[in-house]
Amino acid sequence: MNDQSTPIFGNLDELEVKLSRTKSWGGLETEASYGPADPQEPTYAKKLGDPGQFPFTRGAYPKMYRSRMWTLRNIVGYGAPEDTREGLEMVLASGGNGINIVVDPLTTQSIDPDHPAFGPEVGLEGCSLPTSRDIDRLLHGVDLSKVDTAWHWAAMAYPMVAAVHVMRGQPLATLQGSNMPDMLQETLCGWGERLVPTMLGHRTTVDEIEYSVRNSPRWALGMPQAYDLRERGLTPAGEIALGMAFINKTMEDLIERGLHVDEVAPSLAWVSTSDIDFFEEVAKFRALRRYWATTMRDRFGAQDARSMRLRIACHTSGKSLVYKQPLNNLTRTAIQGFAALCGGVQSLEACTFDEPVCVPTHEARDLAIRQQQILANEVGAARVADPLGGSWYVEALTDAVEAEAVAMLARIEQIGLLTAITNGTIERMMDEHNLLVQRELDEGERIMVGVNRFVPDEEPAPTRFTFDRTNTEKHVRRFIELKQTRDRTRWRDALRTVYAVARSGGNPIGPMIDAFVADASVAEVWGAVRVAHGYSYDPYNALEAPLDYAN
Amino acid sequence: MGSLADAILAGDRRAAGRLISLAESRTSDARDELEILYRHGGHARTIGVTGPPGAGKSTLVDGLIARLRARGLTVAVAAVDPSSPYSRGAVLGDRVRMMRHADDAGVLVRSMATRGALGGLSAATGDAITIFDAMGFDIVIVETVGVGQSEVDIVGHTEAVLLLQTALGGDDVQAIKAGVLEIADIMVVNKKSAPGSDRMARFLRESLHDRPLRPDAWTIPVLLAEASEETGLDEVIDALFGRLDHNRQDTHMSAIRRRQAAAHLTALADVEIRTLMRRLIAGQTRPEAWQAVLERRSGPYSLAARLFEQLR
Amino acid sequence: MQTDFQAEQAEDQPIVRCLLGMLGTDVHSKGIRTIAQLLREAGVEVIYLGEHNSVQGMARAAIDEDADLVGLSFSSAAYVEYTRQLVAEMKRIGADDIPVMLGGIIHPDDHQALYDMGVRGIFGAGSKTADIIAFVRSMGRPR
Repeated sequence: MNDQSTPIFGNLDELEVKLSRTKSWGGLETEASYGPADPQEPTYAKKLGDPGQFPFTRGAYPKMYRSRMWTLRNIVGYGAPEDTREGLEMVLASGGNGINIVVDPLTTQSIDPDHPAFGPEVGLEGCSLPTSRDIDRLLHGVDLSKVDTAWHWAAMAYPMVAAVHVMRGQPLATLQGSNMPDMLQETLCGWGERLVPTMLGHRTTVDEIEYSVRNSPRWALGMPQAYDLRERGLTPAGEIALGMAFINKTMEDLIERGLHVDEVAPSLAWVSTSDIDFFEEVAKFRALRRYWATTMRDRFGAQDARSMRLRIACHTSGKSLVYKQPLNNLTRTAIQGFAALCGGVQSLEACTFDEPVCVPTHEARDLAIRQQQILANEVGAARVADPLGGSWYVEALTDAVEAEAVAMLARIEQIGLLTAITNGTIERMMDEHNLLVQRELDEGERIMVGVNRFVPDEEPAPTRFTFDRTNTEKHVRRFIELKQTRDRTRWRDALRTVYAVARSGGNPIGPMIDAFVADASVAEVWGAVRVAHGYSYDPYNALEAPLDYAN
Repeated sequence: MGSLADAILAGDRRAAGRLISLAESRTSDARDELEILYRHGGHARTIGVTGPPGAGKSTLVDGLIARLRARGLTVAVAAVDPSSPYSRGAVLGDRVRMMRHADDAGVLVRSMATRGALGGLSAATGDAITIFDAMGFDIVIVETVGVGQSEVDIVGHTEAVLLLQTALGGDDVQAIKAGVLEIADIMVVNKKSAPGSDRMARFLRESLHDRPLRPDAWTIPVLLAEASEETGLDEVIDALFGRLDHNRQDTHMSAIRRRQAAAHLTALADVEIRTLMRRLIAGQTRPEAWQAVLERRSGPYSLAARLFEQLR
Repeated sequence: MQTDFQAEQAEDQPIVRCLLGMLGTDVHSKGIRTIAQLLREAGVEVIYLGEHNSVQGMARAAIDEDADLVGLSFSSAAYVEYTRQLVAEMKRIGADDIPVMLGGIIHPDDHQALYDMGVRGIFGAGSKTADIIAFVRSMGRPR
């Protein structure tokens, strides 16, 4: 472990993006927000309200970025834990202030790096983290009760990170950080029934939220993970509709388990995107907050303002970026980021300009951070809350996005969310959207620079991110060694408990944490849950379960 | 002659795939090969799986394959999906649900498009059965499109018809298509956790109970299953083997064989006649005759009669 | 009337059967799903295999389905290795005469290596739908 790096993680506060100036670039003083002469005017009070007031259309907080700046996030993840740690240090040195980790597809799918079919993919597009020991390596010296780590990873992130905290002798109640427990999103976004069966996926999401709000109230949950749904093929209104369908169904099930909406909703943050249509995205963020607030209050009986006040984590759209002339993507992400800030998001990650080409190069990542610093310090994006509120256009668009979302949500809920997923209705809806967009591009009705118009002639091939695979190879050998040297009895008993609890219909998250403490791997823990629910141990059907679950 | 047929009899899957394609495009080359293969067949047990789109047919077939393989039986599947009537293209997606058998040499899945066949079964369905049978597959499953005529046509081609229904989509039990009760040998209410499934199963049992005894004295079982979660499938398999055993009685078997041969013959003749008619219309009809019909100086009736006259 | 006769005759033209699928853990199937629909509208029979196929399973499908060509979509960087494995497996089971095309995120630096392996068509980011359709249709074999 590279010990001299540790202090960098310790000084996160100093790296925070701060609002440098409330005056305009020309020197005029500005207020925290602007509004109508009479804020009690009924239509205004009902539909908009001042920033920080129900229904939070104009923002989650009264002073918005003057009181708390957005978190400048930048995702990092490649190779072995040691490689990703090096990348994180570079981000922090550039001025990023959130630790955001993306894990490799194998780990997110709960597949171990020694799986016979996927050797070439280990660590290639994210960090390989098959055991809690690997997470401990990655975050060596990082106090998980003080530093907020954000995981681009569904259900397994929480029990694995929690296991690291427990191994370090810390109580779960002090655990900080966030993950994205939304599994249905995965079912719909290419994982399919094979990797995430609808019923098991939904159940696991509910299990995880229940366990984490009861045991780690400071752990935040990125739910719904609407970003991937949008990328898969939805309009801004569709994002609100499907995301709210997820929230409603999940909340209903949590309430059935004895939780109150006010115990759950404050831990949730909406994971959103910002696509290229500036005004429509601003309208979406505003409509989303309004619809969320109304739903929490009227449908679920929330009383706590924190339940009604939606926080939004935004990552700019990857699919909006173009392979040809990739530097144009800096223009796109700047506008998307600006839309997110005008829409009042709480954290922002900009895609790097080389997103369509490869895993971000260090240079591209650096530029993504600079872009947000320009937005914060030069553009004045953070100066005034809801700067576009009151614009006739933006208000009309906000209403229109909300109305379309409400109509779509009603259609989904009439079928029933889970049925609409298993019978293919939702997939069909997304496929039709994508087909429409492709037709419009083919016919030139919709123009994207560098895609169907203004395509540059042959240009030099874009630079690719490459890294030395030595650490990854070492990491896989280390993993295989761990499987041979761990305490086998403890390991077996822990997995049997996961299986037994899941099989009896209980919540297996606690036993999963114990299993990770006992050095079980991500595939072994998830495999035990799968088998308990009647599915094959390995979704790819290449491996048998490594133990007999029955005593 | 018969090089493809020889290869197929030796178990060559490439040749089998090729010959099915040739049969699909109705080339005369296929006929002689199929003729040879037909004489080698008659051993495979044939199962039809039908039911409305979205009922979970492919998922059920996937589960059946697993169970048949566990009993040591080899399985070939012809999975039929609709062709676009406009472009003649198709997206054949049934194979996705059967992916876990992709590496198993004892399983062969062939996706087929209807290609404008009147039924909704591909016209080459019978040919695919001939080929799989000759290759020595123990079980041949035909999965239909599940709309229109295919539900009825499948009866002719197979000896055990499995009909899937679900209570999903708000369909009332009464909405079950008239006539489907006649064709099923086994009924499965899939997605049984959906509300209304028990009611639907009860309704089906009552309806069947009220009907007169079938000529083959077979009692149609009504089963509940959740194919995507692999529940209820052992019961489906038991019922299927019950049906296959029942068919072993000589009188039943000969009736089934007669029915199958007739269905195959009708399908082939149907295609031949349609092709012939098309050529006739294209080749024999003078532009003046068309013009006359278009201008309503004469009618399509007399024109059709004249063409048929040439067929005789 | 002439056009009607031509349409009738077009029915005698062979229909191209194109296998489409993905290898590895890649979940980005949005593009391949759209292409499948567009090919259908262009008169192609697409045998859609979806995500997460094994190399062996896909090669076998090419044979069992009598595919005229195999189309792979990749958005993960492991495509060179997976393509190499597929081409080798197809060769092993005697299907190496079936052409392979690639789509998705394919870096220009890899084109030559892929062509050298025997890949017949590469349609990377920014490819035109019409070009993909024309290529697929040109791969039909006489029946």
